[in-house]
Amino acid sequence: MPLASADFPYLSAILLTCGGGLLAILCLPAARTRAIKWVSAVCSGITLLLSAYLFAAYDQARGGLQFVERLDWVPSLGIQYFNGADGFSLPMLLLSGIVFFTGVLTMWELETRVKEFFALVFLLVTGVFGLFMSLDLFFLFVWYDVSLFPMYLLIAIWGSTRKEYGAMKLTLYLLAGSALILPAILFLVVQAGLNTFDLTALMRPGTFSPGEQRFAFLLFYLGFGILAGVWPFHTWSPVGHVAAPTAVSMIHAGVLMKIGAFGVLRLGIFLCPEGWRYWAQLMGLLATVGIVYGALAGLRQTDLKFVIGYSSVSHMGIVGLGLATVSVDGVNGAVFQMFAHGVMTALFFSGVGWIYDKTHTKMIDELGGLSHTMPRASAYVILAALTSIGVPCLASFWGELLVFLAAFRAYPVRGALAVGALVVSALFMLRMVQRTFYGPPRERFAALPDVPFALGLPRLILAAVILVFGFFPALMFDMIATATLPLLQGVPR
Amino acid sequence: MIVPFGHVLLLAGLLFVLGMVCVVARRNLIMILLGVEIMLNAAAIALVGASLRWQAMEGQVLVLFILAVAAAEVSVGLALIVNAHRRSGRLDPNAFHRLG
Amino acid sequence: MDPILLAALTATLTPLAAFGAIVLATRRRPGLSAGLAIGAVALALAGALFLLARLWGLEMSVTYTTRWMASGSLEIVCGFLLDPLSVLMLTVVTAVCLLVQVYSLGYMAGDPGFARYYAFMSLFAWAMASLTVAPTLLQLYVFWELVGVSSYLLIGFWYAKFSASQAGKKAFVMTRLGDVAFFLGLLLVLTHLGHVEITRLNAGAAAGLSGHRLTVAALLIFGGIVGKSAQFPLLTWLPDAMEGPTPVSALLHSATMVAAGVYLLARLLPFFSLAPTALTVILAVGTLSMLLASTMALVSRDIKQVWAFSTISQLGFMLMGLAAGGYVAGVFHLTTHAGFKALLFLCSGVLIHHHGTNDIVDLSRRGARRQTLAVACLAVAAAALAGLPPLSGFFSKELLLAALAAHPNPVWLAAGLLGAFLTAYYAFRLIFLLLAPPAGGMEDAPAPHHDAPPGVRGAMAAPLVVLAGVTLLLGWAEKPLARFLAAGGGLTPTAAGHHAWLPFTAVGLAVAGVALAWWEFGRRQAPRVGFAERWPALGELFAQRWYLDHLYRLALGALVDHGAAHLCAQGDRRVIDPTVDGLAAGTVAGGRRLAVWHAGRFQARLLALFLVVAALAVTVFF
Repeated sequence: MPLASADFPYLSAILLTCGGGLLAILCLPAARTRAIKWVSAVCSGITLLLSAYLFAAYDQARGGLQFVERLDWVPSLGIQYFNGADGFSLPMLLLSGIVFFTGVLTMWELETRVKEFFALVFLLVTGVFGLFMSLDLFFLFVWYDVSLFPMYLLIAIWGSTRKEYGAMKLTLYLLAGSALILPAILFLVVQAGLNTFDLTALMRPGTFSPGEQRFAFLLFYLGFGILAGVWPFHTWSPVGHVAAPTAVSMIHAGVLMKIGAFGVLRLGIFLCPEGWRYWAQLMGLLATVGIVYGALAGLRQTDLKFVIGYSSVSHMGIVGLGLATVSVDGVNGAVFQMFAHGVMTALFFSGVGWIYDKTHTKMIDELGGLSHTMPRASAYVILAALTSIGVPCLASFWGELLVFLAAFRAYPVRGALAVGALVVSALFMLRMVQRTFYGPPRERFAALPDVPFALGLPRLILAAVILVFGFFPALMFDMIATATLPLLQGVPR
Repeated sequence: MIVPFGHVLLLAGLLFVLGMVCVVARRNLIMILLGVEIMLNAAAIALVGASLRWQAMEGQVLVLFILAVAAAEVSVGLALIVNAHRRSGRLDPNAFHRLG
Repeated sequence: MDPILLAALTATLTPLAAFGAIVLATRRRPGLSAGLAIGAVALALAGALFLLARLWGLEMSVTYTTRWMASGSLEIVCGFLLDPLSVLMLTVVTAVCLLVQVYSLGYMAGDPGFARYYAFMSLFAWAMASLTVAPTLLQLYVFWELVGVSSYLLIGFWYAKFSASQAGKKAFVMTRLGDVAFFLGLLLVLTHLGHVEITRLNAGAAAGLSGHRLTVAALLIFGGIVGKSAQFPLLTWLPDAMEGPTPVSALLHSATMVAAGVYLLARLLPFFSLAPTALTVILAVGTLSMLLASTMALVSRDIKQVWAFSTISQLGFMLMGLAAGGYVAGVFHLTTHAGFKALLFLCSGVLIHHHGTNDIVDLSRRGARRQTLAVACLAVAAAALAGLPPLSGFFSKELLLAALAAHPNPVWLAAGLLGAFLTAYYAFRLIFLLLAPPAGGMEDAPAPHHDAPPGVRGAMAAPLVVLAGVTLLLGWAEKPLARFLAAGGGLTPTAAGHHAWLPFTAVGLAVAGVALAWWEFGRRQAPRVGFAERWPALGELFAQRWYLDHLYRLALGALVDHGAAHLCAQGDRRVIDPTVDGLAAGTVAGGRRLAVWHAGRFQARLLALFLVVAALAVTVFF
């Protein structure tokens, strides 16, 4: 894989911005909430700009890993601080930047324990950014755990609806995942015998025997699959979504679940392509079940956030199905879907968060007629719902198109079933929209404020991203393709 | 060296076994603590003997450490016993088998 | 820049620009928004007319494509396919959109959602116009879905009404059911041929598919048509869709949305004709829908609902004609139908707007006949619907029947003739009900629902006059249009056998239908009870729409909501979660149990420790 070193450590700059923001927040007195929010907004804005710049500056003709930074960390163990970005990680970095920035802005009205909240969010996001850019297995794992732990506190302190239960469940599930990932990493590093955690060195073909690849891939798939909400390990995710505060739901559903899929891709598929082929059938099966099951279960939910949570399960199933096809189109579609789903759920939770803040309920039965009093908030949620249904010219459509095409080629019956789930997802989304936003205006909501322009900014950004990539999917696909094509060439047929 | 090293070790061993039996067999927390002290002293005797036998000062230094630790240990241990006695009114070690 | 390309871009993209401008900037200024939307669609119409004029003499099709995105072996292109069919349809779409938008100036005046209405209208116009000129099935599918979304938004426009939001949702989900089939068919073709270009599919590329695969693909794509054109069994969403504002119904029922289904069949007719089984299925579905919907229209008392049923029935009729090989006939009927159906709805809209009710008898009682212009136009349109000469509907219906007559199986022709009779009957049942003074006499002071200012009345009247003119005259354009369509269609027109008796029979049946309607509703001592209502069971069956909706509601409730969905939701709540929680609880309980071994009895453990050490010492030293 060609490597291009960076003339300026952009990737580290992202991490340093996060770290610097964290330090600045810790140094500020807790009472100065305004300053803390401004520091958060500025730092997250810088990360967004940096990740957008990297996305634009990536040389697609050249491909491979670019902006590479390498520094020996523990030479005796072969651990390096080794960062780089390719066509898979750049969309994810961009997504993280977008969701981070908009998430911070969404929490502008937070009043309780502001300092601690933003400090933890910064810690979480540092881990997320680090994971997406790291090319050293050791660091990758460390970043993974860094991104998990703040989650517990964020949900348990600022959450709602059974928050302790949700937080504990989420943490245990994700730790169970990392308990599978660590052995797999150590197994591979030891088996390779190269005394290095360097991903690029380990992924040379022939490093691992087929049997080793199958074993390690299964561990990676299960470990990261838990985080990606693979059926039947998905139940932590709706519960966690519901319990988490708005920005955390956004980061959680928008980025954290993508870490799961990204982990399967980056570690599982990059290191064990033979294992990928071997387990593809299982992946396809679980993913299809997840798609159909998530959509059907979503139909019976009465809590707005549960509805979105189950739609996430269904959508992450689509990502899994794309990866399971072992084909260029499938992987392209899956990565695109990861990005689109991230932006879409962020918009969803951002809109629903406003509604919950104002009405103090997220039970669908208690809501209704919200379009009259908060037309803008409603419009954003409806846009997200339409994206989730897979309406063309909204980002999610293109990812689904490619995944379904690839799935239909590889597994016709499962592909057809997954496509059929589109009807169900349309049904439950529109039901939710109808019961929440339509209908006669309600007395008790009459005086509630709509999203003002400034506070609506994050939602506006997310909606704009959905539209831009919905109308011009090539912007994203050309990027992803630079990584997919070399990857698929190495996979045994 | 007037007393042969073997006798010193024998004395230390006897004391140690005595302390051990005391710790294992008595049904009184204070006596158990005494047993522990006896075992510590047995070790100290062995160390002093060895230090004389090989003309090395480390053994004696270690004995000083043991004395200091034993003193600290007795005070903490007695405090715990007093507290336990206050809470349950008993000194039987088998009465304390639950955490919290 | 190539003027043809420029015109095509204008014809499709200007409404999108208007949509964007209204949403982003002029949301709060209703007048400006309406002006933008109407200006945009007028520009689009101008572009379409220019294309029509250029292609009229050219006798060829023009294609422009550019790469939109690529992935692996798949390249998705977008562009324009300009041939007689698409350009004719484009003209019809933009023209009807323009008329409806002008009409809406009056109809929607004062509505709080005026700007939003025009935004959605522009979105709709963009989606439908782009659908017609799509060069690939995939692009067609994209806009097909967008048409569905915009009609969802427009049907549920008055979202405060429960029934409106319900109808919008129903329309979207039911058409989605068909769309999924279409999408699967698309994937099937794409998987096996590697492309979905319409011209290549029509030129015989589809022969690369093996026989049954081709049939399956054709049937799946037809599934999309069934959904979108509200054919059996997915026909129940269309009658409910009248919950939207009446101009929306006019648009939905004439040139957009439901027309998209028939257009797709016409577009892909050479492809479909490679699969004879599929054609037979289409004939059967079209016939069934036509007859079912006609029977439903026999007993309905809601003016818009009658026209909605007639739409289903006429669309079924078009599908029959197309499937029987009558390419020109089907497309021509689609065109004329767009004109008179829009007119029917717009006229009904005038009456509804003025009297504030949908019920025919109520309308009659409140003096609907005093709206001379509206009722006159309504009568003209109804006559066209019934296929009476010399209106446009007569000509297109004759063509369709001729196509059916050319089919070896006479059943379809018989069904078509029966449909013609029923159509004439229910159309004029409505007219006579409106015109005939009711038994109780008219209400003395017909209080107008709205006090419409003259400008509003003008905005609503002008489209009626234009459409009535079109309905009167379009029939005479049959020959040149047929020549035009056949020239670029790439399809040899079937040499329909000439049946001299056919026009007379058809007109005779239509007149008989009108006469029966007059006998039962029109004359002075008319019983005002339809023949279908004489048998209460039959009338009830028709009025309940053959209980199709009940069936669906039952199926949805029993199979999906309380069946599969319940199972999945309970699966999480009762199986997966308890398993995990049980695992957690088990761990905790196990820890408690094991903790007993670690608490207390330290003397015993110390003894064990000493013994082990002693044993170790023994083994090591001796």
